[in-house]
Amino acid sequence: MVSSFPSQGTSTTDVVSQNGPSSTSSSTNAPVSPELEQILSSLTTNRSVLGYIVLTRTSPIGIVRHSGVVFDGEQGKKYASAVKRIVDAVRVGLEDVSGAEGDELKFMRVRTKRHELIISPDERYLLAVIRDPSS
Amino acid sequence: MQDRRRVELEAKRAKLAELKKAREDRKKSEQTRRESEAGTTGPTRKDLARRDLDDLVRDVLGGSREESAVGDSTPFSSQPSTPARPHATLGPALSVSASGRLSRASDAPSDGMGGNGDPLRRESFDNMNIQVQDRFVPDLVDVEQELFDLPPKERVIYNKEVQTTDIAIDPIPSISENEIREQILREQEAERTAIQEEKSEEESLLLERQLEEEIKDMTEEERTSVLMAPEFLDFLEQSSKVVQRALSDNYDYIRDYTLGMDSGVDSSEGKRVKQVCQFWDEHWCKNRSITGVDWSPKYPELSAASYNKNPSAPNDPDGIVAVWNLHLLERPEFVFHSQSDVLSVSFSLFHSNLIFGGTYSGQILLWDTRSKHLPVLKTPLSAAGHTHPVYAMQMVGTQNAHNLITASTDGLVCSWLVDMLAQPQESLELAHVSHNRTNEIAITALDFPDNETTTFWTGTEEGNIYQANRYDRAGSKAGLNQYDAYRGHAGPVTGLHFHPMVGSVDFSDLFLSCSVDWTVKLWRAKSAAKPSTSSQTINPLYSFDESDDYVYDVQWHPSHPALFGSVNGSGKFDLWNLNTDTEVPMVSTSVGSSRALNKLKWDRKEGRRVALGGSDGRLYVYDIGDMGIPRETEWVDLQRTVESLGAGQSIDGLPSR
Repeated sequence: MVSSFPSQGTSTTDVVSQNGPSSTSSSTNAPVSPELEQILSSLTTNRSVLGYIVLTRTSPIGIVRHSGVVFDGEQGKKYASAVKRIVDAVRVGLEDVSGAEGDELKFMRVRTKRHELIISPDERYLLAVIRDPSS
Repeated sequence: MQDRRRVELEAKRAKLAELKKAREDRKKSEQTRRESEAGTTGPTRKDLARRDLDDLVRDVLGGSREESAVGDSTPFSSQPSTPARPHATLGPALSVSASGRLSRASDAPSDGMGGNGDPLRRESFDNMNIQVQDRFVPDLVDVEQELFDLPPKERVIYNKEVQTTDIAIDPIPSISENEIREQILREQEAERTAIQEEKSEEESLLLERQLEEEIKDMTEEERTSVLMAPEFLDFLEQSSKVVQRALSDNYDYIRDYTLGMDSGVDSSEGKRVKQVCQFWDEHWCKNRSITGVDWSPKYPELSAASYNKNPSAPNDPDGIVAVWNLHLLERPEFVFHSQSDVLSVSFSLFHSNLIFGGTYSGQILLWDTRSKHLPVLKTPLSAAGHTHPVYAMQMVGTQNAHNLITASTDGLVCSWLVDMLAQPQESLELAHVSHNRTNEIAITALDFPDNETTTFWTGTEEGNIYQANRYDRAGSKAGLNQYDAYRGHAGPVTGLHFHPMVGSVDFSDLFLSCSVDWTVKLWRAKSAAKPSTSSQTINPLYSFDESDDYVYDVQWHPSHPALFGSVNGSGKFDLWNLNTDTEVPMVSTSVGSSRALNKLKWDRKEGRRVALGGSDGRLYVYDIGDMGIPRETEWVDLQRTVESLGAGQSIDGLPSR
């Protein structure tokens, strides 16, 4: 019953490509499926969001996609490695505590005085959003 | 007289001479003593002092023989009062009287004792004297110590002086010292910054190296392959949802309430009805209208809205159902697709994952939140099911025996098992045989009274409301009860809702209806067990004529017996309390862009929130605060209110009971 999903995806392709240019805010111009594009653009609709970054959790990590000034260029790389280190540290720390196999880190919110970093890690990928909570 | 004076003068002179002589003697004696002291450097002072004393004692004892040599000089020089002589004379007398009693007075007792002249005694006496001397000596030493104590004090003072001189010098070089300090600080700072720079350089180098190690530059191909991977899409779908839920929770966890905040005037203050949020998605909701609304029975934060087609997006599915989450404002939690406009939506009461939709084409669709956008089950587009638009849908029954009842505008009412949509379990054609124009009943609204699963009331396009039975029943056949017509509306009925069974008094025979004739009407349903045998018209108990536009939906409040809400074509959400006022709504709120509101649904628990589906495609959620909390007396009051309403209205028609 779900099998026709890809066809649905392709059917929506044309529509979104019509609205495409207005909604893209990413700096990379790799071809992206419209559905993906929509999800990513919806992330930045929240006014407090300064940007997002999507990483692969390979070693070394790769920046799949990013958006927002904070994640541009060198700064983005710094954030990427920082996020990686944060996640690794927390994961290791939690493993030390629980020692339970099969548990995994699902979600993190790191609040600093100025920013909030929201991290949603997966086995293979990682999404991080930085926001300004005061706005 | 002169002689006498001369005598006196001479006497004075003699005295003077005597004094001079005495002085000279003293000097001489002192000299000799010093000489003797200088000569006898070996013996200590103690010994000297002892000798002196011994001499003294001997002087006293031995009478005046030795007195001339030493005894004479020493006592006199040391003690000008010279007690030795008088003692010498007094001593024996005392010793006689004291008769061997030892008195500690220094000289006199020793005289008395030594009076015998016994050498042994004398020796012992000497010892005594030594003892006395011993006692005496520490005193002297003490004095010396005191003298010794002084120099340290002087030293301390001297040290202080040094300090004070330092301070005294201070004011002049103070600037320079400060300068020096500053200079030192500056130097230190410079060193530090230099170190820091070095460090930061090192760090940046290290970081760069780390970055190089940690981050690989993905090639376009790699990136594209990742972006195209289906699991990447799944990941992003899920994780972005999580992140956006987190973002929707706007509370700042580190807010400090101790800080004074400029108290901005809350615009919603004083309003009794507050907008909680509005759900809107640019992509999915644009150019669509909401046609149906429902709340999840399991998760109070979830609500579903059905949408009609977007004429400007022919490639998007015609109909959609969006499930919205109060904690995720930017986008729907789920979007379900349909090939036809979805006109009605309903959560399954018994399976929190399932959502039903009635479409314009007549298909009934079932979506599952565990699966993707497309329905997991759908009814066939054939005579076995509906072929006309399904505007009305309701689920009845219990956990173990429940059906979905759907009604289309051709008068067909179907009953479905939720896991078998291939064909209806039962279907019932509602027809009005004796109608003067058409026997078709175009059902636009349908509702079952609470705790009722077999008989229901339907609102029609012509404006009448009819009662119908699903099954044959004592005295009545399955199908439409065509004798009892609830006449009152002059246009299509858009909403129908029975009073919920809550509280002490049962009002489940009361129902509300609304219509495009701008009115909301209150009815008392005739008991289904006693159907009329000839045509009868049932009039409404009351008509609420306040609206100035089509009334699109009406709903009793789930917990307050006298409260109901209605929405109309001018975007007004009216909240009525029958016990307060039947002429005007208690609160009338203009919602959103003032475009028509199509649907209204109270949340399922306490009715604090209400979802309003707009024709602008927005789903508004409002909070009515504590207005939905009923007082104890509301039920009795409503009984009285309804009595008085019925008395006023049912005169011109036949009594409804």
